[in-house]
Amino acid sequence: MIWKELNESLIITNLKANDYTDVMKELGSVMIQEGYAKDSYIDALIEREQEYPTGLDIDGVGVAIPHTAVSHVKKHGIAIAVLDKPVTFFQMGTDDETVEVQVIFMLAVINANEHLDQLQTILKIIQDKNVLSDLMKTKDTKQIIKIIKDKECTL
Amino acid sequence: MKKKVIVACGGAVATSTIAANKIVELCKENGIDVEICQIRISEIESNLEGTSLIVTTSKVKRDYGVPLITGMPFISGIGVEKTQAAILDVLKR
Repeated sequence: MIWKELNESLIITNLKANDYTDVMKELGSVMIQEGYAKDSYIDALIEREQEYPTGLDIDGVGVAIPHTAVSHVKKHGIAIAVLDKPVTFFQMGTDDETVEVQVIFMLAVINANEHLDQLQTILKIIQDKNVLSDLMKTKDTKQIIKIIKDKECTL
Repeated sequence: MKKKVIVACGGAVATSTIAANKIVELCKENGIDVEICQIRISEIESNLEGTSLIVTTSKVKRDYGVPLITGMPFISGIGVEKTQAAILDVLKR
């Protein structure tokens, strides 16, 4: 159950960002402050996003799952942000298709195999555009956890 | 005969792990003996020997002379069945 592991201090609602680098800086800083990532994490996120984008177009709703190599990570965690307005990400697997993203699931991954169930659960959650729409509407971190919990209980 | 499948993404961290797991499940269900080689895109070339199929979750423009299928549907959830069919088609050859 990933909702039980979600840490409210890693959730930001109404995040103001002009572009995806702002998202990496703001949410990445939270990961660093809370002890999940090293200082190199933000630059690594941005570099990685440029080369291997993580935007996903879920049936017309945008979400992104930025992450880095394990060397920039201290412990496993998930940070979530809902942006006050969408920013442009490139779509995963492309270098020319964009998607407007308002929901971010930032991953600090140490060992994907150990956390495979969790990663798969996150994907199932973000593959539901109704969940993404609900997340976009809320400004309350507790509500975000509840939306994810409710979805998780249906899986 | 065991089929070797390369599963690659930018960092061999998250998305390729998920894609690899889906391919293992798919092959098990279809009685295909498969060996997964999970690596970074940049490592594909040096691991090509004996490879039947490459699945990536990132953009790849090069032609490695081996069938290449995008594993993106495993991440986005859109078009999974079509991708599974394409993978089986290559591995059952």
